[in-house]
Amino acid sequence: MATDTTGVERAPREHAAGRTEAVPLRARTWQREGLVAAAFLAPSAIVLLVLRLYPTVEALIASAQRQPLNILAAPVFVGLDNYRTLLVESPTFWPSVAATVIFVTIVVVAQTVGALALGLLYTQHMYATRWWRALVFLPITIPMAVSTLVWQIAFRNDGVVNGFLSALGLGQYNYFATRGLAYFAFLTILSWIGLGYWMALLIAGLADVPTEVRDAAKVDGAGAIRTFFSIVLPLLKRPLAFVAVALTVTNFFTFIPEAVITQGGPRDATRFLMFEIYTEAYSNGNTNRASAEIVLLAIIILAIVAVEFKLIAPED
Amino acid sequence: MNKLLSRTPGKVILTLVGIIVAWAFFWPVVWMTGSAFRPEKEIFEYFQPISIHTLIPSNYTLDNFRAAIEVGFGRAWFNSIVVSLASAALGLAITVPAAFALSVLRFRGRGLAFAILFVTFSVPFELVAIPLASSFRDWGLTNTYTGLILPGLANGFAILLLRQFFAGVPEQLKEAARVDGAGWFRIMLQIYVPLAKPALASAGLMLFIGQWQAYLWPLLVADKPEMQVGSVALANLQAGAVGGTQFGAIFAGAILLSIVPTVIMLSMQRVFVLSIASTGVKG
Repeated sequence: MATDTTGVERAPREHAAGRTEAVPLRARTWQREGLVAAAFLAPSAIVLLVLRLYPTVEALIASAQRQPLNILAAPVFVGLDNYRTLLVESPTFWPSVAATVIFVTIVVVAQTVGALALGLLYTQHMYATRWWRALVFLPITIPMAVSTLVWQIAFRNDGVVNGFLSALGLGQYNYFATRGLAYFAFLTILSWIGLGYWMALLIAGLADVPTEVRDAAKVDGAGAIRTFFSIVLPLLKRPLAFVAVALTVTNFFTFIPEAVITQGGPRDATRFLMFEIYTEAYSNGNTNRASAEIVLLAIIILAIVAVEFKLIAPED
Repeated sequence: MNKLLSRTPGKVILTLVGIIVAWAFFWPVVWMTGSAFRPEKEIFEYFQPISIHTLIPSNYTLDNFRAAIEVGFGRAWFNSIVVSLASAALGLAITVPAAFALSVLRFRGRGLAFAILFVTFSVPFELVAIPLASSFRDWGLTNTYTGLILPGLANGFAILLLRQFFAGVPEQLKEAARVDGAGWFRIMLQIYVPLAKPALASAGLMLFIGQWQAYLWPLLVADKPEMQVGSVALANLQAGAVGGTQFGAIFAGAILLSIVPTVIMLSMQRVFVLSIASTGVKG
């Protein structure tokens, strides 16, 4: 059963049956290696079936059902009713989608630009570059839940961030009290964690820009800014596209900051989709509606990533 | 302009900019470490106005670590280690043969099989975490190590990395072993695995870190105090679930949870660079 999904076991046998006369030896080798491969792939295939495919199917089925008030009764098939409720009646679903899209957009733009700026800075000629890069990279090694908790303490009204800001004469703020400040704080936390990682990816991409090309541009009299926009940026297109898409997907699943710090507040400003789903499933106990939300989340992400691919690589 | 900047004064200025930017990322680490080693009552003391003691303690103590152990954080830390190590070991045990089959063995549909495995295991696990958690409840896997470990066994990038490495091993080694009558399992274990040590370390690191970072899944399947992992236990500590918020203990716990991945990654820096290079950006 496990091997059927991958097509591993069946394909070589058909192949062998069709062409035994023509290339008997080769066909037999293929068949034998196919069987070995099926055995070697079986554990992964089982994991895939039980831990990925099964819950996906479960979510799809549950999203089309409703649990009667008697929890021992069998669930009732209701078709698309859960989806209709979410899309038409739910007071939290659309605001949650909007909050998620707005916040993810902010994060993707800010972090892509930030990582590129860091990558450009730390590929300049300076002393001990590796050390400065390592310090920027260091926060990714700290688990996200830990970083979030530590920053929550730093962002307290009597915390270290307000201490620094008032020392600089920039005033003090009650973070997590308004949408703007909460997004600012979340962006700070997520960027502190992730920027070094994306920077490292882009530095790897920058290393692939041939120095001869840059030198040629210099000989032709192009300035630093011109060189960047006409030569470096086009050559960085692939890694930048990867960073933007990866940032979109990961941040759509942002859960730790709002679960740990704000519980979705203030006034649902940080009630991002993962937290909305979690609340629906656990606080409201409506697994069916939560399942429908998961399906919608998957559809939204697929659509956005598809659009991003279209925008970034129209010629491919 | 580049020529000018590459001369010494430009280099000094750029280095200064580099240090300032790096400091913007590094000070929270200094502050967090300092707070773990200072007396509880000093934690909020030096912010208004700021001074050198804002980041560096004026008195050092290990009380916070003692407090963290007392509220049961030691057990949570131990759970994180068990779960992450087991996931890395078992994860490699299923990933290595899969990657071997997908790169060394020849069979119809190999490309498709790889695409299915890679894409499925690269879809963020959060998408299926909530439905899977209710199945785990039905199967009696809540508050067990098995329940915590299972979802961390597969990683798309670990398969990708090992597959690429195995594909780079010269075919002659395989052919020679075949002629000598070696079976595929032996070829994998005695030829490919010893050659792939850096890739194995890198894939193992991905699996380990993936579990060490996990928060949503352990939150869903392990709520008993003795089965909680470090990150969940620390968040509960912050929420004041265990007799009011003890900030000192939180910082101590934060250090205990950060030191493990940091030490591993710094000691495996070259390996880690390899794993970044393999994510497909460099194609």
